[in-house]
This record gives sequence, structure tokens and C-alpha cells, in this order.
Amino acid sequence: MDDIQEILEDFLVEAFELIEQIDQDLVELENNPEDLELLNRIFRVAHTVKGSSSFLNFDVLTKLTHHMEDVLNKARKGELKITPEVMDVVLKSIDMMKELLVGIRDNGNDTDIGMDISEICSALDAISQGNDIPVQQSESKKEAAEELQEVVKEPHKEEEEIDYNNLSDDEVEAEIERLLKQRKEEDKKRKAQKKKETGEDKVVPENPTPNRVAKPSVQPKPKPKSMPAKKQAASTIEQTIRVEVKRLDHLMNLIGELVLGKNRLLKIYDDVEERYEGEKFLEELNQVVSSVSLVTTDLQIAVMKTRMLPVAKVFNKFPRMIRDLSRELGKSIELKITGEDTELDKSIVEEIGDPLVHIIRNSCDHGIESGDERLLKGKPEGGVIELKAYHEGNNIVIEIVDDGKGLDSDMLRNKSLEKGIITEREADSMSDKEAYNLIFKPGFSTAASVTSVSGRGVGMDVVKTNIEKLNGIIDVDSEVDRGTVIKLKIPLTLAIIQALLVGVQEEFYAIPLASVLETVRIPLEEIYTIEGKNVLRLRDEVLSLVRLSDIFGVERVLDNSEHAYVVVIGLAESKLGIIVDSLVGQEEIVIKSMGDYLKGIEGIAGATIRGDGRVTLIVDVAALMDLAKNVTVDIRATGETEARTKEKPSDYFVLVVDDSKMDRNIMKKSIAPTGISVVEAANGQEALNMIKSGDHSFDAILIDIEMPRMDGYTLASEIRKYSKYKNLPLIAVTSRTSKSDRLRGVESGMTEYITKPYSPEYLESVVRKNIKLLAE
Amino acid sequence: MNDKLSQVLKKQQQQIEEPEKIEEDIVQLVGFIIGNEEYAIPILNIQEIIKPIDYTRVPQVPDYVLGVFNLRGDVIPLINLRKKFNIEMVNQTEETRYIVLKGENNTAGFVIDRLTEAIRLNRSRISPPPETINTDKGMIYGVGKRDDSMLTILKVEALLKRDF
Repeated sequence: MDDIQEILEDFLVEAFELIEQIDQDLVELENNPEDLELLNRIFRVAHTVKGSSSFLNFDVLTKLTHHMEDVLNKARKGELKITPEVMDVVLKSIDMMKELLVGIRDNGNDTDIGMDISEICSALDAISQGNDIPVQQSESKKEAAEELQEVVKEPHKEEEEIDYNNLSDDEVEAEIERLLKQRKEEDKKRKAQKKKETGEDKVVPENPTPNRVAKPSVQPKPKPKSMPAKKQAASTIEQTIRVEVKRLDHLMNLIGELVLGKNRLLKIYDDVEERYEGEKFLEELNQVVSSVSLVTTDLQIAVMKTRMLPVAKVFNKFPRMIRDLSRELGKSIELKITGEDTELDKSIVEEIGDPLVHIIRNSCDHGIESGDERLLKGKPEGGVIELKAYHEGNNIVIEIVDDGKGLDSDMLRNKSLEKGIITEREADSMSDKEAYNLIFKPGFSTAASVTSVSGRGVGMDVVKTNIEKLNGIIDVDSEVDRGTVIKLKIPLTLAIIQALLVGVQEEFYAIPLASVLETVRIPLEEIYTIEGKNVLRLRDEVLSLVRLSDIFGVERVLDNSEHAYVVVIGLAESKLGIIVDSLVGQEEIVIKSMGDYLKGIEGIAGATIRGDGRVTLIVDVAALMDLAKNVTVDIRATGETEARTKEKPSDYFVLVVDDSKMDRNIMKKSIAPTGISVVEAANGQEALNMIKSGDHSFDAILIDIEMPRMDGYTLASEIRKYSKYKNLPLIAVTSRTSKSDRLRGVESGMTEYITKPYSPEYLESVVRKNIKLLAE
Repeated sequence: MNDKLSQVLKKQQQQIEEPEKIEEDIVQLVGFIIGNEEYAIPILNIQEIIKPIDYTRVPQVPDYVLGVFNLRGDVIPLINLRKKFNIEMVNQTEETRYIVLKGENNTAGFVIDRLTEAIRLNRSRISPPPETINTDKGMIYGVGKRDDSMLTILKVEALLKRDF
């Protein structure tokens, strides 16, 4: 029983792979009815399915495929001409075959779904006998359903079937033999042509070959004859292995861990390099680290590639869809597909199918005009939809281009106004491009009349959400009467992404690099306020600004920087400037889920583990844009009010760091005339802890260089690591006078360098200058 | 209530290897202190107990969710039980620990003041929570009576349930 189950599973996997290819072949066949190779390929699919299903006792399926085979066989021999009418019947029979296969997959047999095939069989018979097709077939379909049982039992049908089997066995064998030879030659040619690409795209068409040979139970006779072909088949079998997706997922997870480990190793190496500068072992370590990092990256790419599928997997169903749609809508539409070899991650391939179907349906229904209308506009009668896929950096771009009537931005505006999606003011200030994006708003449908093709209540907004779920971007451009271009930009893989790491106060966040358009550093004066919103003029555009710390409620310790780093993020047409305190850099991050407990927190897409082992949250760009709308903190105002709170000299705090009590006292005495409050620390570590604790916010720090536990240089560079202390005056007070000492002081981030001994007045004036406290 | 408890315990026993079946009416618990009270959690629900490590704050969550931390490559939420039980906050001490609890679909770390001991308690000495403290969102499993003290046994599934 297990054996049968195994065979059944194999059969299903194979059959679904075959019919995926067959749709495209059939539509192509309609254009090139004379293409023998296509015909042969289609015939082989029908035949393979027939053979396997009869072995497995799926009578309904066997009967159906048997009739299909009959027609295709005639067509192959040139006894039958493929007309669109014939094609309709064949395509319909293929659909039924698919349904039967689905039924078998779900129920384990082909009778449970109770499909009636008698009528399609007779239509097929009629074709193969050269008769006209019964015209009323579509109407009679339902009535005939009840007759199924009887029809199947009709004796003459069964006779005919047996009859055929006896008759055609030899014929089929001969045919197979011929085909295999032909195939072999083709393969040879092809191999010579593209030695490199022995991979994926060939695997699909070649599957029928090993399949046929591996079925001795159905056709025991051809075995000896097809020996040479078998060798060929064997070599192709070895080139592919079917692997459970679960195993690949597991592998991908492990690689993720490895990437994290690599990041961590790189970080540790940096630290080591800093500490043991010039040591010999560093070079060796460097070699190991870089080779590990290189191999990890390669490994990651390699594993990613195993999960890659050509986008043809999705594209293949469209020729058929377009064909059906164009017949249904009475329009002539041609589909041009390019770049179907472009590969992307399996999980994404599975997700983009539905959005694409929707977009293409829309293009057919609303985009392409009827033939008469097109002729009036001076366009060729037949419309063209182009489906393109290509790589762009770490993304795949899919473009759906039609040459239809295009989007009318005024119409879109009016429509949205009517439906209350936008306000009148918004409509006026809206650019054409923004107007096009209205089609993605929930509750928008441009179709004046709702047809069965599109307008099923599922709008383009769902498409947009689905694409954004994949971290993708959807973009639309159009010109009236020229056509519409819809562009999808989707990352190649979901598990590991490139991200920009930013610092906000003492926290870090990762922003998916795919959504980052640019980063700029601007002086605060360039931030304007319009209607209570902060904006920035960036080249020709006005950009809304919001602080990441306001969105995420990061505790704000005063940042007296006069500049701001702005990360410009973009999703389709909407852009937003996010102010952060520092830019850390670009890093490859592995997306980790935060578990059920913290799932779906607004604005957070997930988490990752950084090189230092800490968790960094990944920003959900789409949600962030929504959240930003509710933030009404004026960026400049907060800065000013904070500054104004210091009125008396004693509101200022200066930290004196020196290990000698006497030196500290001298410094205190020097500053005393200013009235500034002084806090003391005996070494770098103590000072750092005081600064971190936030009990005082210091306006300046006087630092001795020579100190136990942590010296002045280290303290200065530690302090500078915090973005909020970027501009905090650090004044070195030391007896080290050499030039190199001064240089080190500058490197570590000291603002001033005072050498001992110094006059009290000098120290006082330096402190005053740095905290901008004028002498009275 | 006793029946319910024993059922759960049976299930828990099955989750680990079955050979050593503890006598059915003995419950093994880990006791710890939060504030002034002693609480306990069935030992089988505890994945591990670790010393405090750095965690990352997560925005837009209730204040008792401190953030997330990295437990050997897994990102795990950290919950402060003092805040959750509305007890005044204190700074971490040398004895502060994170108890990592594992439920059916969730794992989370909980901050506690200090551990006490592993406790073996006869099931008959556990009584259901007094009806007056039903307000605690059902977080209490029962009250264990010991020779000289009482301890509150917490319901793990309730602790691990997201309630925001």
C-alpha cells in the first residue's frame, strides 16, 4: 500500500509540473499550429498522464486524456488543423484534467469530485473524426452532469477504449521511439549551444523523458528498443534532486545563524585590531576572518540559489489567461513576456502570483480598449501587454506594460473626491503621479461597469498590501491613450536583507535598505514648519520630517547638535524624512521573529541580532509612514525650549575628572568665579558611569589624561560614541605636552587641550567659551 | 481544581521523557521572590534561569514588557513581573534573575528579585486561589501551604499570554 502511495505522490508531482508547461505550449501552438515540436510535447504530456493514470486505475482521468491524446495525435500527424475552435476544446479538456488531478490530490481518487467528462470527450471525438464541434457544448454542460453515471457505463464506449488500447500500443511505441531519438538529437544540439546553462529551464521539458522510460509496468515492450535513450535519461536524472522545501528552509535558518556569527566575528576582529595594532598575528587573523566571511557570503548565496525559481513559474499561466480574457472580452490582446528566466526566492514566487493576476486582469479589462476604439485612436487593433522581469541590484523588477488608454489623472481625482477618499484640497495639490497612486487606495475602482473580469470587490489596494508585505514597492506611471506601466520592485529573498542601521539616542534600529532612497545631513535651520508639520526642502521637493525618537517614544536626552541626519525613505510615491541621531552603516541582517508574544507591533517588522550579540529592531517602513502622520512634535521648538531653561550659571554643570584630589581642587577653584556647579570623578570609568546615569546633564567635562582604570583618551572616545554627546565640550587638562599627545587628544574627540601648569584665568575663560557662558 | 491541576501535570510529564514518573501527588516547583512575596512556578515549565543580560527596548508596548533579549540566537521578550503585579520598581541587584518560561507557542523571560529553592509539594496541600483575588486575570493557579509559609503558584499559560 505504501508503494502505491509513493507512486501516487510521484505521479502527482510530475503531472502538476507537466501541466504547468502545457498551458504555455498550447497558447503558443495556436500561433504556430505547424510547430511539430510543440505538438509532440503536448501529446507527450497527455500520453504520460494517461499512462500513469491507467496504471493507478483513475478511469475518468484515463478516459479524458485518452481522448485528448487522440486529437493531439491526429494534429501531430498533420491530419487535423488546429483552429481556435479546436483549441478551445483542447484547452477546456486540459482544464478538466487539472481539476481531476487536484481532485486526486485532495481525495485520492478521481471520482469524488464527480466531474462529467462525457461531453468533452464527445467533442474531442468529433474533432478527431473531423466533424464539426457541437456548438451548444457550453450550455449542455450542466444538464449532462447527471447523466454521468449512465454514460460511463455505456458499453460501446468501453469497447472503443479497449479497441484503442490494443490498436495503438504499437503505434505509440513507435512514436515514442521516434520522439526519443529526436529529443536526443535536440538535446545534443542544445547542450553544445549553451554549455553553461545546463540547469533549471531544461529540467522541465526533459522530465517527460525519464518518466516514459521509467514505466515498464504500463508498456513493457519498448524497453529493449529504447536502451540508448535510457542512458541519456539517466544522465539527466542525476542532475536534479527533489528536496523537501522544509529542508531548504532549515538550511536557510542555519545560514542565517552563520551570517550572524560572521557579523560578530568581524566586529570582534575590529576590536582586536584596534587593541593590538601592529601585532604580527593580526595579519593571520585577518586572513582567517576574511576567508570565513567570504565563504559565508558565498554559502549564503549558494543556498539562496537553491531556493530560487524562475519567475516563469508564475508567468506561464498568463498566456492562457490572456487568451481566455481576450476571447471573453472580445478584444484582441497579445502578451509579450521577457525575462521569464529571472529567478527569485520560492516564497516570493508563491506570493506574487495573485497580485500579478489582478494587475493583468485590470490591464485587459480597463487598460486595453476595444478594437474599434483603438482603430479610432489610430492605434493597431490588437492591444499589447508586456510582462517583463529583470534584476536590479538586490531586487527583481516586474513590469506590466500595456498600450491601452492609460490613466486619466483628472478622472482619478474627481472619482476619489466623489468617493471621499481625498479632500478637495488634497486633490488640488496632487501631482499627476500622486493621482495615479489613487488606484491603490482602498475603496477605489475605476471601472464604470463592474465586469466579471476585474471589479470583484478586490481592489488594487490588496495588491499593494501584498507587495508591501514582501518588502516590495509598487509604482505606476501612465500617459493618456499611450498606456500604463506598473512596476513592482521586490527583494530577491525575505530571510536576509540589507539594512541601514541608524542610532537614535542610545538605541539602534535597522531600516530595510530597499526602502531607503538617500541620507542627508542638514542644518536645523533648514527645517520649516508648515501647518504644524516639519518639512524640509530637498532639491525640488518638500519632504515631511519626523524624528524616529518621537515615533518610537525614545527617551530624549538633550541633543544640542545643530545638524540632523535625515534618512529619506520611500514607498511608491510617498516619501518621508526620518531624523536620526547617527548613521551606523549598512549591514546584512537576518530577520528573526519576535514570537507570538510580540507579534504585530506597529512599526516594527521584526528583530535581528547584531554583531555584538544585542537585539536590534527592524523598522516596518509602511507602518512607520502611517505612524508618522500622528506625530506633531515640532523639531526645532523642542531644541530651543530645552536650551532656554538654563538661566543662572549654577544651572550649568561641569564634570572634573582627575585622579589627583589636589588637581581637582585646583580646577574647581579656577572655575569657581563663574558660579558653575562642579561635579568630580576620580577616574574615567567613574566619570563614564556618571555620564551614563544621566543624574546630571553636563555642559563640559575637564579630563586628565593619565588616570587609573580608564585614561582620558579612552574616556573621550567612549563619550563620543553617544550621539547626544557629540558636541559636548571635552577639555583635556594634562601635563603631557608633546605634539603626538595633542594629536591623540584630537583623535579621541577632545575639544580643547590645556597643558599643566595653567593659569586659573585661562582655564576659566576656556570653560566659559565652551559652554557659551559670557563673563559678567 | 485539583483534577485540573493533575491533568496538566500529567500532560507536562508526557512532554518530557516519561521513564521517571514522579509520584503523582508530588508537585515540583521553583520558588522565587518578587517584592515581599514568594511565588512558584512548576519546574517543568522553566526552560532555564539566567543572570540578567542586556535587552533592547521595544516601542509601542505596555511598560511591563521591558523589551527583547538574545538567548543564544533566539529573540525573546522580557517581562518585568514587578511592573506586571504593580509592585514598586527597584534597581537590579546581584540576585536578580531572568526566568525563561516555555509555553506551547511562546517563550518569554521574566525578571524576578531572587530565587529561593526547588520545592516539592504534595498536591493535597495546594488549594485554589481565594475567590476574592479573581481580579488577577487568572494568573494564579493556586496557593501552596507549607509548614511555616504560603506561596502563590502562578499559571504559566496566563503569564505567557499576550494581553495587550
